[in-house]
Amino acid sequence: MAAARLTPGTACEAVLCLLLALCYASVGAQDTATDSGALRFEGYPDAPAFEVVSRKSDLFFYPCDQCHESMEPNPEIRALDTMHDAEIDHGRGRIWCLSCHALEDRNYLTTLLNEPVDFDDSYLVCGGCHANRHKDWTFGAHGKRVANWQGPRSLYSCTHCHNPHSPAIGPRAPKPPPPVRAGLELQRGADHAADAEDDATEEHADNE
Amino acid sequence: MSDDREIKDAPNKFDKARRNFLRGISVGAAASLAQPAWGGQTFSDAFADFFQNHYQKMSADEIDAALERIERKAQIRYGVDINCENTPPQENVVFGYAINISRCQGYRDCVQACVKENNLGRDSQVQYIRVLEMDQGVTNLEHSEHYYDPAEVPVEGKYYLPVQCMQCDDPPCVKACPVEATWMEPDGIVVVDYDWCIGCRYCMTACPYWARHFNWTEPEIPAEELNTDTHYLGNRPRPRGVVEKCHFCIQRTRKGRQPACMEACPTGARIFGNLLDPDSEIRYVLANKQVFRLKEDLGTEPKFWYFSD
Repeated sequence: MAAARLTPGTACEAVLCLLLALCYASVGAQDTATDSGALRFEGYPDAPAFEVVSRKSDLFFYPCDQCHESMEPNPEIRALDTMHDAEIDHGRGRIWCLSCHALEDRNYLTTLLNEPVDFDDSYLVCGGCHANRHKDWTFGAHGKRVANWQGPRSLYSCTHCHNPHSPAIGPRAPKPPPPVRAGLELQRGADHAADAEDDATEEHADNE
Repeated sequence: MSDDREIKDAPNKFDKARRNFLRGISVGAAASLAQPAWGGQTFSDAFADFFQNHYQKMSADEIDAALERIERKAQIRYGVDINCENTPPQENVVFGYAINISRCQGYRDCVQACVKENNLGRDSQVQYIRVLEMDQGVTNLEHSEHYYDPAEVPVEGKYYLPVQCMQCDDPPCVKACPVEATWMEPDGIVVVDYDWCIGCRYCMTACPYWARHFNWTEPEIPAEELNTDTHYLGNRPRPRGVVEKCHFCIQRTRKGRQPACMEACPTGARIFGNLLDPDSEIRYVLANKQVFRLKEDLGTEPKFWYFSD
Protein backbone atom coordinates (compact mmCIF):
# COMPACT_ATOMS: atom_id res chain seq x y z
CA MET A 1 0.00 0.00 0.00
CA ALA A 2 2.81 2.37 -0.71
CA ALA A 3 2.59 5.54 -2.66
CA ALA A 4 6.15 5.19 -3.65
CA ARG A 5 6.37 2.97 -6.70
CA LEU A 6 5.05 3.47 -10.19
CA THR A 7 5.46 0.18 -12.06
CA PRO A 8 4.86 -0.14 -15.83
CA GLY A 9 1.48 -1.71 -15.03
CA THR A 10 0.37 1.17 -12.91
CA ALA A 11 1.67 3.61 -15.52
CA CYS A 12 -0.69 1.99 -18.04
CA GLU A 13 -3.52 2.41 -15.61
CA ALA A 14 -2.61 6.03 -15.11
CA VAL A 15 -2.85 6.59 -18.86
CA LEU A 16 -6.20 4.81 -18.88
CA CYS A 17 -7.33 7.05 -16.07
CA LEU A 18 -6.34 10.08 -18.13
CA LEU A 19 -8.30 8.82 -21.12
CA LEU A 20 -11.28 8.22 -18.89
CA ALA A 21 -10.99 11.72 -17.59
CA LEU A 22 -10.99 13.07 -21.13
CA CYS A 23 -14.13 11.10 -21.99
CA TYR A 24 -15.70 12.23 -18.76
CA ALA A 25 -14.91 15.83 -19.59
CA SER A 26 -16.48 15.61 -23.01
CA VAL A 27 -19.64 13.52 -22.52
CA GLY A 28 -22.72 15.33 -21.32
CA ALA A 29 -20.68 17.85 -19.46
CA GLN A 30 -20.02 21.52 -19.71
CA ASP A 31 -16.44 22.39 -20.58
CA THR A 32 -14.55 25.53 -21.23
CA ALA A 33 -11.28 25.75 -23.12
CA THR A 34 -8.51 26.94 -20.84
CA ASP A 35 -5.32 28.79 -21.69
CA SER A 36 -3.44 25.56 -22.18
CA GLY A 37 -6.08 24.42 -24.69
CA ALA A 38 -7.24 21.56 -22.48
CA LEU A 39 -10.91 21.22 -21.69
CA ARG A 40 -11.78 22.12 -18.16
CA PHE A 41 -14.76 20.35 -16.60
CA GLU A 42 -17.29 22.84 -15.26
CA GLY A 43 -20.09 20.55 -14.16
CA TYR A 44 -23.24 19.13 -15.69
CA PRO A 45 -25.34 21.80 -17.40
CA ASP A 46 -28.70 20.33 -16.33
CA ALA A 47 -27.66 19.71 -12.72
CA PRO A 48 -29.36 21.85 -10.07
CA ALA A 49 -27.15 24.58 -8.62
CA PHE A 50 -25.29 23.77 -5.41
CA GLU A 51 -22.68 25.12 -3.09
CA VAL A 52 -20.14 23.06 -1.18
CA VAL A 53 -19.63 23.39 2.56
CA SER A 54 -16.10 24.70 3.05
CA ARG A 55 -13.69 22.47 4.89
CA LYS A 56 -10.51 24.51 4.66
CA SER A 57 -10.66 25.61 8.29
CA ASP A 58 -10.60 21.94 9.37
CA LEU A 59 -7.41 21.18 7.48
CA PHE A 60 -4.55 20.93 9.93
CA PHE A 61 -1.67 21.92 7.62
CA TYR A 62 -3.54 24.34 5.35
CA PRO A 63 -2.29 26.69 3.87
CA CYS A 64 0.42 24.30 2.71
CA ASP A 65 2.64 27.20 1.65
CA GLN A 66 3.51 27.76 5.30
CA CYS A 67 6.15 25.05 4.93
CA HIS A 68 6.36 24.30 1.24
CA GLU A 69 7.22 27.87 0.25
CA SER A 70 10.74 27.34 1.51
CA MET A 71 11.04 23.79 0.17
CA GLU A 72 12.32 22.74 -3.21
CA PRO A 73 9.57 20.86 -5.17
CA ASN A 74 10.63 17.26 -5.60
CA PRO A 75 8.58 15.38 -8.24
CA GLU A 76 10.32 12.08 -7.56
CA ILE A 77 7.87 9.33 -6.57
CA ARG A 78 8.80 8.22 -3.06
CA ALA A 79 7.42 7.37 0.35
CA LEU A 80 7.28 10.44 2.57
CA ASP A 81 9.00 10.12 5.91
CA THR A 82 8.16 13.51 7.43
CA MET A 83 4.97 15.15 8.62
CA HIS A 84 2.58 13.49 6.19
CA ASP A 85 1.31 9.92 6.15
CA ALA A 86 3.72 7.67 4.30
CA GLU A 87 0.97 5.24 3.41
CA ILE A 88 -1.76 6.08 0.97
CA ASP A 89 -4.53 3.49 1.16
CA HIS A 90 -6.15 4.69 -2.04
CA GLY A 91 -5.85 3.50 -5.62
CA ARG A 92 -3.93 0.33 -4.73
CA GLY A 93 -0.54 1.83 -5.45
CA ARG A 94 -1.58 3.56 -8.66
CA ILE A 95 -1.44 7.05 -7.25
CA TRP A 96 0.81 9.08 -5.03
CA CYS A 97 0.81 12.59 -3.53
CA LEU A 98 1.31 14.56 -6.73
CA SER A 99 -1.49 12.69 -8.51
CA CYS A 100 -3.83 15.01 -6.65
CA HIS A 101 -1.65 17.75 -5.13
CA ALA A 102 -0.17 20.44 -7.39
CA LEU A 103 3.59 20.39 -7.62
CA GLU A 104 4.18 24.10 -8.11
CA ASP A 105 1.56 25.73 -5.90
CA ARG A 106 0.96 23.53 -2.89
CA ASN A 107 -2.13 25.49 -1.85
CA TYR A 108 -3.93 23.85 -4.71
CA LEU A 109 -4.89 20.40 -5.85
CA THR A 110 -4.52 19.30 -9.41
CA THR A 111 -6.67 17.43 -11.92
CA LEU A 112 -5.30 14.79 -14.25
CA LEU A 113 -5.06 17.55 -16.85
CA ASN A 114 -2.85 19.59 -14.51
CA GLU A 115 -5.48 22.21 -13.83
CA PRO A 116 -5.13 23.78 -10.38
CA VAL A 117 -8.16 23.14 -8.17
CA ASP A 118 -9.00 24.86 -4.91
CA PHE A 119 -9.13 22.62 -1.83
CA ASP A 120 -12.85 23.36 -1.47
CA ASP A 121 -13.44 22.15 -5.03
CA SER A 122 -11.75 18.84 -4.33
CA TYR A 123 -14.74 17.02 -5.84
CA LEU A 124 -13.38 18.00 -9.26
CA VAL A 125 -10.22 16.04 -8.48
CA CYS A 126 -12.12 13.02 -7.17
CA GLY A 127 -14.42 13.15 -10.18
CA GLY A 128 -11.44 12.76 -12.48
CA CYS A 129 -11.41 9.03 -11.74
CA HIS A 130 -14.76 8.48 -9.99
CA ALA A 131 -16.87 10.03 -12.72
CA ASN A 132 -20.03 8.01 -12.03
CA ARG A 133 -19.96 8.80 -8.33
CA HIS A 134 -19.31 12.43 -9.08
CA LYS A 135 -22.30 12.59 -11.39
CA ASP A 136 -24.52 10.91 -8.79
CA TRP A 137 -23.21 13.35 -6.17
CA THR A 138 -23.94 16.34 -8.40
CA PHE A 139 -27.53 15.24 -8.95
CA GLY A 140 -28.11 14.05 -5.40
CA ALA A 141 -28.02 10.25 -5.52
CA HIS A 142 -24.71 10.05 -3.63
CA GLY A 143 -23.29 12.12 -0.80
CA LYS A 144 -25.00 14.28 1.72
CA ARG A 145 -27.08 17.40 1.44
CA VAL A 146 -27.05 19.60 4.52
CA ALA A 147 -29.95 20.90 6.64
CA ASN A 148 -32.83 21.38 4.19
CA TRP A 149 -34.52 19.61 1.30
CA GLN A 150 -35.83 22.88 -0.10
CA GLY A 151 -34.07 26.04 -1.19
CA PRO A 152 -30.35 26.39 -1.92
CA ARG A 153 -28.54 23.05 -2.10
CA SER A 154 -25.62 22.91 0.27
CA LEU A 155 -23.58 19.74 -0.10
CA TYR A 156 -20.82 18.02 1.79
CA SER A 157 -17.79 17.54 -0.39
CA CYS A 158 -16.33 14.05 -0.97
CA THR A 159 -13.62 14.70 1.61
CA HIS A 160 -16.13 15.44 4.39
CA CYS A 161 -16.91 11.75 4.63
CA HIS A 162 -14.00 10.05 2.86
CA ASN A 163 -10.43 10.62 3.95
CA PRO A 164 -8.81 11.05 0.53
CA HIS A 165 -5.71 9.21 1.73
CA SER A 166 -7.79 6.25 2.94
CA PRO A 167 -11.29 6.61 1.51
CA ALA A 168 -12.88 3.35 2.65
CA ILE A 169 -15.09 3.92 5.71
CA GLY A 170 -14.48 1.34 8.43
CA PRO A 171 -17.04 -0.37 10.65
CA ARG A 172 -18.09 1.10 13.99
CA ALA A 173 -20.38 0.29 16.90
CA PRO A 174 -24.12 0.67 16.27
CA LYS A 175 -26.47 2.63 18.52
CA PRO A 176 -28.35 0.47 21.05
CA PRO A 177 -31.06 -1.89 19.77
CA PRO A 178 -34.72 -1.12 20.42
CA PRO A 179 -36.20 -2.21 23.75
CA VAL A 180 -37.54 -5.72 23.42
CA ARG A 181 -41.31 -5.82 23.02
CA ALA A 182 -43.13 -6.34 26.28
CA GLY A 183 -43.50 -10.04 26.92
CA LEU A 184 -41.21 -11.11 24.11
CA GLU A 185 -38.08 -11.52 26.21
CA LEU A 186 -40.06 -13.24 28.91
CA GLN A 187 -41.58 -15.50 26.29
CA ARG A 188 -38.17 -16.35 24.89
CA GLY A 189 -36.81 -17.03 28.38
CA ALA A 190 -39.90 -19.02 29.34
CA ASP A 191 -39.60 -21.11 26.20
CA HIS A 192 -36.00 -21.90 26.92
CA ALA A 193 -36.74 -22.64 30.55
CA ALA A 194 -39.61 -24.92 29.55
CA ASP A 195 -37.35 -26.70 27.03
CA ALA A 196 -34.66 -27.16 29.66
CA GLU A 197 -37.24 -28.49 32.08
CA ASP A 198 -38.53 -30.93 29.46
CA ASP A 199 -34.98 -32.10 28.79
CA ALA A 200 -34.32 -32.53 32.48
CA THR A 201 -37.45 -34.61 33.05
CA GLU A 202 -36.68 -36.75 30.01
CA GLU A 203 -33.18 -37.38 31.27
CA HIS A 204 -34.61 -38.21 34.66
CA ALA A 205 -37.01 -40.67 33.04
CA ASP A 206 -34.16 -42.24 31.07
CA ASN A 207 -32.13 -42.72 34.24
CA GLU A 208 -34.98 -44.46 35.87
CA MET B 1 -85.78 -28.08 41.20
CA SER B 2 -84.04 -26.03 38.61
CA ASP B 3 -86.38 -23.08 39.21
CA ASP B 4 -85.59 -23.18 42.91
CA ARG B 5 -81.90 -23.09 42.31
CA GLU B 6 -82.19 -20.06 40.04
CA ILE B 7 -84.16 -18.13 42.59
CA LYS B 8 -81.73 -19.11 45.31
CA ASP B 9 -78.62 -18.10 43.32
CA ALA B 10 -79.97 -14.84 42.01
CA PRO B 11 -79.70 -12.70 45.16
CA ASN B 12 -76.11 -13.90 45.68
CA LYS B 13 -75.14 -12.94 42.16
CA PHE B 14 -76.54 -9.45 42.45
CA ASP B 15 -74.97 -9.07 45.84
CA LYS B 16 -71.54 -9.90 44.43
CA ALA B 17 -72.00 -7.56 41.50
CA ARG B 18 -72.99 -4.73 43.77
CA ARG B 19 -70.05 -5.37 46.08
CA ASN B 20 -67.61 -5.35 43.13
CA PHE B 21 -69.18 -2.19 41.79
CA LEU B 22 -68.85 -0.40 45.11
CA ARG B 23 -65.28 -1.61 45.52
CA GLY B 24 -64.49 -0.35 42.02
CA ILE B 25 -65.86 3.08 42.82
CA SER B 26 -63.83 3.42 45.99
CA VAL B 27 -60.60 2.30 44.26
CA GLY B 28 -61.30 4.68 41.38
CA ALA B 29 -61.86 7.55 43.78
CA ALA B 30 -58.56 6.81 45.54
CA ALA B 31 -56.74 6.66 42.19
CA SER B 32 -58.21 9.95 41.02
CA LEU B 33 -57.10 11.59 44.26
CA ALA B 34 -53.54 10.40 43.67
CA GLN B 35 -53.48 11.73 40.11
CA PRO B 36 -53.34 15.42 39.20
CA ALA B 37 -56.80 16.83 38.73
CA TRP B 38 -58.46 16.47 35.32
CA GLY B 39 -55.66 14.36 33.82
CA GLY B 40 -52.99 16.94 34.44
CA GLN B 41 -54.80 20.00 33.14
CA THR B 42 -57.29 22.56 34.25
CA PHE B 43 -60.99 21.76 34.32
CA SER B 44 -61.79 24.12 31.46
CA ASP B 45 -59.06 22.59 29.28
CA ALA B 46 -60.20 19.06 30.06
CA PHE B 47 -63.76 20.12 29.25
CA ALA B 48 -62.70 21.71 25.94
CA ASP B 49 -60.55 18.68 25.07
CA PHE B 50 -63.56 16.43 25.57
CA PHE B 51 -65.62 18.38 23.07
CA GLN B 52 -62.76 18.99 20.62
CA ASN B 53 -63.77 18.22 17.04
CA HIS B 54 -61.93 16.26 14.35
CA TYR B 55 -58.84 18.13 13.05
CA GLN B 56 -60.27 18.55 9.57
CA LYS B 57 -63.56 19.88 10.89
CA MET B 58 -62.16 22.46 13.27
CA SER B 59 -62.19 26.14 12.33
CA ALA B 60 -58.93 28.09 12.43
CA ASP B 61 -59.89 29.55 15.82
CA GLU B 62 -60.72 26.14 17.23
CA ILE B 63 -57.37 24.77 16.04
CA ASP B 64 -55.55 27.71 17.64
CA ALA B 65 -57.36 27.03 20.90
CA ALA B 66 -56.44 23.32 20.66
CA LEU B 67 -52.78 24.21 20.06
CA GLU B 68 -52.79 26.46 23.11
CA ARG B 69 -54.29 23.69 25.20
CA ILE B 70 -51.54 21.33 24.04
CA GLU B 71 -48.90 23.89 25.01
CA ARG B 72 -50.49 24.46 28.44
CA LYS B 73 -50.72 20.72 29.06
CA ALA B 74 -47.02 20.24 28.21
CA GLN B 75 -46.16 23.13 30.54
CA ILE B 76 -47.99 21.40 33.40
CA ARG B 77 -46.62 17.93 32.60
CA TYR B 78 -43.00 18.74 31.74
CA GLY B 79 -42.55 22.32 32.96
CA VAL B 80 -41.36 23.24 29.49
CA ASP B 81 -42.73 25.88 27.11
CA ILE B 82 -43.31 24.08 23.82
CA ASN B 83 -44.34 25.64 20.55
CA CYS B 84 -47.10 23.66 18.86
CA GLU B 85 -47.79 24.71 15.29
CA ASN B 86 -50.15 23.87 12.50
CA THR B 87 -47.96 24.52 9.45
CA PRO B 88 -50.10 23.83 6.37
CA PRO B 89 -48.85 21.69 3.46
CA GLN B 90 -46.97 23.50 0.72
CA GLU B 91 -48.43 23.93 -2.76
CA ASN B 92 -47.21 21.48 -5.41
CA VAL B 93 -45.27 19.35 -2.98
CA VAL B 94 -45.61 15.60 -2.53
CA PHE B 95 -42.92 14.03 -0.43
CA GLY B 96 -41.00 10.94 -1.42
CA TYR B 97 -38.18 9.04 0.17
CA ALA B 98 -35.45 6.76 -1.10
CA ILE B 99 -32.82 4.73 0.74
CA ASN B 100 -29.59 3.52 -0.80
CA ILE B 101 -29.19 0.13 0.83
CA SER B 102 -25.63 -0.25 -0.39
CA ARG B 103 -24.77 2.84 1.68
CA CYS B 104 -26.66 1.90 4.86
CA GLN B 105 -24.26 0.44 7.42
CA GLY B 106 -26.78 -0.27 10.18
CA TYR B 107 -25.45 2.33 12.64
CA ARG B 108 -28.99 3.20 13.84
CA ASP B 109 -28.14 6.91 14.04
CA CYS B 110 -31.45 7.56 12.26
CA VAL B 111 -33.39 5.67 14.92
CA GLN B 112 -31.85 7.68 17.72
CA ALA B 113 -32.41 10.99 15.94
CA CYS B 114 -36.04 10.02 15.33
CA VAL B 115 -36.66 9.16 18.98
CA LYS B 116 -35.30 12.53 20.07
CA GLU B 117 -36.98 14.60 17.37
CA ASN B 118 -40.40 13.03 17.73
CA ASN B 119 -40.60 12.94 21.52
CA LEU B 120 -40.85 9.17 21.67
CA GLY B 121 -40.80 7.62 25.13
CA ARG B 122 -37.28 6.59 26.11
CA ASP B 123 -38.57 3.56 27.99
CA SER B 124 -41.22 2.45 25.54
CA GLN B 125 -40.79 0.07 22.66
CA VAL B 126 -42.20 2.57 20.19
CA GLN B 127 -39.66 3.45 17.53
CA TYR B 128 -40.82 4.67 14.14
CA ILE B 129 -37.74 3.31 12.32
CA ARG B 130 -36.57 -0.28 12.41
CA VAL B 131 -33.25 -1.18 10.86
CA LEU B 132 -33.47 -4.77 9.70
CA GLU B 133 -30.33 -6.85 9.48
CA MET B 134 -30.64 -9.25 6.57
CA ASP B 135 -28.49 -11.98 5.09
CA GLN B 136 -26.93 -10.92 1.85
CA GLY B 137 -28.84 -12.23 -1.14
CA VAL B 138 -32.05 -12.61 0.85
CA THR B 139 -35.03 -10.28 0.68
CA ASN B 140 -37.38 -12.23 2.92
CA LEU B 141 -38.40 -9.80 5.67
CA GLU B 142 -39.49 -12.71 7.86
CA HIS B 143 -35.84 -13.66 8.29
CA SER B 144 -34.68 -10.24 9.37
CA GLU B 145 -33.32 -9.27 12.76
CA HIS B 146 -33.84 -5.81 14.20
CA TYR B 147 -32.49 -6.46 17.70
CA TYR B 148 -28.97 -6.99 16.31
CA ASP B 149 -26.24 -5.66 18.58
CA PRO B 150 -22.74 -6.71 17.48
CA ALA B 151 -19.61 -4.82 18.56
CA GLU B 152 -19.26 -3.35 15.09
CA VAL B 153 -21.46 -2.93 12.04
CA PRO B 154 -21.67 -3.72 9.18
CA VAL B 155 -21.24 -7.43 9.87
CA GLU B 156 -19.71 -9.50 7.10
CA GLY B 157 -22.36 -11.15 4.95
CA LYS B 158 -25.20 -8.93 6.17
CA TYR B 159 -26.95 -5.92 4.77
CA TYR B 160 -29.19 -3.40 6.47
CA LEU B 161 -32.68 -2.38 5.45
CA PRO B 162 -34.29 0.47 7.39
CA VAL B 163 -38.08 0.38 7.36
CA GLN B 164 -40.53 2.99 8.57
CA CYS B 165 -43.90 4.29 7.39
CA MET B 166 -43.92 4.03 3.60
CA GLN B 167 -46.49 6.87 3.28
CA CYS B 168 -48.52 4.77 0.84
CA ASP B 169 -50.45 6.64 -1.80
CA ASP B 170 -53.33 4.19 -1.34
CA PRO B 171 -52.95 3.62 2.39
CA PRO B 172 -54.77 0.56 3.77
CA CYS B 173 -54.52 1.95 7.30
CA VAL B 174 -56.69 4.91 6.33
CA LYS B 175 -59.36 2.59 4.93
CA ALA B 176 -59.31 0.51 8.10
CA CYS B 177 -59.85 3.36 10.54
CA PRO B 178 -63.50 3.27 11.73
CA VAL B 179 -63.47 6.88 12.93
CA GLU B 180 -61.40 8.56 10.16
CA ALA B 181 -58.75 9.59 12.64
CA THR B 182 -56.03 8.98 10.06
CA TRP B 183 -55.84 10.31 6.52
CA MET B 184 -53.44 11.40 3.79
CA GLU B 185 -52.56 15.09 3.68
CA PRO B 186 -52.22 16.91 0.32
CA ASP B 187 -48.42 16.64 0.54
CA GLY B 188 -48.68 12.86 0.73
CA ILE B 189 -48.02 12.38 4.43
CA VAL B 190 -50.36 9.97 6.21
CA VAL B 191 -51.15 11.59 9.56
CA VAL B 192 -53.05 10.73 12.72
CA ASP B 193 -55.27 13.02 14.78
CA TYR B 194 -54.15 11.67 18.14
CA ASP B 195 -57.10 13.32 19.88
CA TRP B 196 -59.61 11.63 17.58
CA CYS B 197 -57.99 8.17 17.61
CA ILE B 198 -59.92 5.67 19.72
CA GLY B 199 -56.99 3.24 19.97
CA CYS B 200 -58.76 0.31 18.31
CA ARG B 201 -55.55 -0.61 16.41
CA TYR B 202 -57.37 -1.73 13.26
CA CYS B 203 -54.88 0.36 11.27
CA MET B 204 -51.99 -1.59 12.78
CA THR B 205 -53.41 -4.82 11.47
CA ALA B 206 -54.13 -3.25 8.10
CA CYS B 207 -50.57 -1.96 7.66
CA PRO B 208 -48.39 -4.48 5.78
CA TYR B 209 -45.17 -2.73 6.86
CA TRP B 210 -45.44 -2.88 10.65
CA ALA B 211 -45.16 0.89 10.60
CA ARG B 212 -47.84 1.84 13.11
CA HIS B 213 -47.28 1.67 16.82
CA PHE B 214 -49.60 1.74 19.79
CA ASN B 215 -48.38 3.64 22.80
CA TRP B 216 -49.35 1.68 25.86
CA THR B 217 -47.97 4.32 28.20
CA GLU B 218 -47.60 8.05 28.06
CA PRO B 219 -44.10 8.65 26.71
CA GLU B 220 -41.47 9.10 29.43
CA ILE B 221 -39.17 11.88 28.27
CA PRO B 222 -36.68 13.82 30.39
CA ALA B 223 -38.01 17.41 30.40
CA GLU B 224 -34.71 18.85 29.18
CA GLU B 225 -34.71 16.51 26.18
CA LEU B 226 -38.24 17.41 25.07
CA ASN B 227 -38.27 18.74 21.53
CA THR B 228 -40.19 22.00 21.85
CA ASP B 229 -40.64 22.52 18.11
CA THR B 230 -43.83 20.55 17.51
CA HIS B 231 -46.73 20.14 15.12
CA TYR B 232 -50.34 19.15 15.88
CA LEU B 233 -50.18 16.21 13.45
CA GLY B 234 -46.56 15.40 14.26
CA ASN B 235 -44.37 15.18 17.30
CA ARG B 236 -46.44 16.96 19.95
CA PRO B 237 -46.70 15.08 23.25
CA ARG B 238 -49.29 12.40 22.60
CA PRO B 239 -51.90 10.99 24.95
CA ARG B 240 -51.62 7.38 26.04
CA GLY B 241 -53.53 4.68 24.16
CA VAL B 242 -53.41 6.02 20.61
CA VAL B 243 -51.67 4.83 17.47
CA GLU B 244 -48.74 6.80 16.12
CA LYS B 245 -46.32 6.50 13.24
CA CYS B 246 -43.63 8.16 11.17
CA HIS B 247 -44.92 11.38 9.61
CA PHE B 248 -41.79 12.36 7.65
CA CYS B 249 -41.07 14.86 10.47
CA ILE B 250 -44.01 17.01 9.38
CA GLN B 251 -42.89 19.76 11.78
CA ARG B 252 -39.61 20.07 9.89
CA THR B 253 -40.32 19.09 6.30
CA ARG B 254 -43.23 21.49 5.85
CA LYS B 255 -40.78 24.28 6.63
CA GLY B 256 -38.24 23.04 4.09
CA ARG B 257 -35.99 21.21 6.55
CA GLN B 258 -34.91 17.60 6.20
CA PRO B 259 -36.47 14.81 8.23
CA ALA B 260 -34.39 14.11 11.35
CA CYS B 261 -33.43 10.61 10.15
CA MET B 262 -31.97 11.99 6.95
CA GLU B 263 -30.10 14.74 8.74
CA ALA B 264 -28.62 12.21 11.16
CA CYS B 265 -27.60 9.64 8.56
CA PRO B 266 -23.79 9.71 8.47
CA THR B 267 -23.51 7.83 5.18
CA GLY B 268 -25.90 9.85 3.03
CA ALA B 269 -27.98 6.75 2.33
CA ARG B 270 -31.25 8.66 2.79
CA ILE B 271 -32.68 10.82 0.03
CA PHE B 272 -35.77 12.92 0.53
CA GLY B 273 -37.52 15.45 -1.64
CA ASN B 274 -40.45 16.68 -3.65
CA LEU B 275 -41.76 14.13 -6.14
CA LEU B 276 -43.38 16.89 -8.21
CA ASP B 277 -40.12 18.78 -8.74
CA PRO B 278 -38.30 17.29 -11.77
CA ASP B 279 -34.96 18.71 -10.52
CA SER B 280 -35.17 17.12 -7.08
CA GLU B 281 -32.75 14.45 -5.89
CA ILE B 282 -35.53 11.94 -5.41
CA ARG B 283 -36.64 12.31 -9.02
CA TYR B 284 -33.06 11.78 -10.22
CA VAL B 285 -32.88 8.58 -8.18
CA LEU B 286 -36.20 7.32 -9.52
CA ALA B 287 -35.16 8.07 -13.09
CA ASN B 288 -31.58 6.79 -12.95
CA LYS B 289 -31.39 4.00 -10.38
CA GLN B 290 -32.86 0.54 -10.18
CA VAL B 291 -35.41 1.22 -7.48
CA PHE B 292 -37.82 -1.16 -5.79
CA ARG B 293 -40.47 -0.92 -3.12
CA LEU B 294 -41.33 -3.35 -0.37
CA LYS B 295 -44.35 -5.59 -0.94
CA GLU B 296 -45.15 -3.72 -4.13
CA ASP B 297 -47.57 -6.46 -5.19
CA LEU B 298 -50.00 -5.37 -2.50
CA GLY B 299 -50.75 -2.27 -4.55
CA THR B 300 -50.51 0.19 -1.68
CA GLU B 301 -48.25 2.46 -3.77
CA PRO B 302 -45.63 3.34 -1.15
CA LYS B 303 -43.83 6.66 -1.66
CA PHE B 304 -40.71 5.03 -0.27
CA TRP B 305 -38.13 3.45 -2.54
CA TYR B 306 -34.97 1.41 -2.08
CA PHE B 307 -32.02 1.13 -4.41
CA SER B 308 -28.45 -0.03 -4.48
CA ASP B 309 -25.52 1.03 -6.59
